[in-house]
Amino acid sequence: MTTVARWRRYRWQLIAGEAFDPAMQMALDEVLTRRVGAGERPPTLRFWEWTAPAVVIGRFQSLRNEVDFEEAERYGITVVRRMTGGGAMLTEPGRVITYSIYAPPELVAGMSFQESYAFLDAWVVDALRALGIEAWYQPINDITSTRGKIGGAAQARRFGAVLHHTTMAYDIDPAKVPRVIRIGREKLSDKGVRSAERRVAPLRQQTDLPRETIQAHLIQTFAERHGLEEGALTADEIEEARELVRTKYGTWEWTAILP
Amino acid sequence: MLHGEFKTPGGKLVQVDLEVCDGRLCHVQVTGDFFLEPEEALETIRSAIEGVPVAEATEDHLAWRIRQALARYGRPVEMLGFSPESIAQAVRRALP
Repeated sequence: MTTVARWRRYRWQLIAGEAFDPAMQMALDEVLTRRVGAGERPPTLRFWEWTAPAVVIGRFQSLRNEVDFEEAERYGITVVRRMTGGGAMLTEPGRVITYSIYAPPELVAGMSFQESYAFLDAWVVDALRALGIEAWYQPINDITSTRGKIGGAAQARRFGAVLHHTTMAYDIDPAKVPRVIRIGREKLSDKGVRSAERRVAPLRQQTDLPRETIQAHLIQTFAERHGLEEGALTADEIEEARELVRTKYGTWEWTAILP
Repeated sequence: MLHGEFKTPGGKLVQVDLEVCDGRLCHVQVTGDFFLEPEEALETIRSAIEGVPVAEATEDHLAWRIRQALARYGRPVEMLGFSPESIAQAVRRALP
């Protein structure tokens, strides 16, 4: 089956616009993954808006090894843990582009995990290139460019669905990242590769376009290729996510599950 | 607390924190920016390292123990960006 045909088997729904706090973002990802897995909502593309800055660490990362908690507090940055693996990210309102894809597993059937990362972000790479940004996919899970890394993706296969989410830096201060996120000596010493890999090149360094214009272009690209209908979170989904913030994503037990 | 790190070539960073109690590996924590499905398999990996006598904690033996434990997990386990060998390397680097 062709790439286009795989995507076109579904009626994709768009959720965008409303801003949420960091713990709520984590919870919404789980709720929407569950709903798509249970067939209670169509396959969905969600663009995130943040109300507050956050360090988002991966499911399998050590809290103390990854985050300088005191520095984060000093900057007013919330630390949350997401349900997917991968590395820590710094996000700030209006300074990153984040989206999630909630899909049936059949969308990526027959692909290796590694192949599915590139497949699920291909429309983004092409959309950035159409804006004149020399971007490409760097396995396993990075969107990169001639200037440096733009962003990274992470996935989880759970509740009968695939969650794939990606954060791209739009206007993050690269000097701020190592103040709150610890980068191990081992990473830095990896044949010198790591320092190049870690060189973050936010989109703002590569284009004069406002964040909103880039995001609108991404949505338009997805819609043209795969089809996309306007949608919204239901009151029920928001309530379930609030409950998950109370019981999981907003709790110290979860954030420090790997201290 | 002992700490070891290993960057999987072409993959992710594995970090191991542990102590030695009566000559055996104890209070083991395995973390990193890798991907693992299902998430509960992390405890299986950790348990395969916990309690191993330091004298037997060679890279080969540790990797073998992790593989055996994952094979017995009951459903397929997907490791992306790391391997039993890279975890074993991180353990070795944690040990004096």
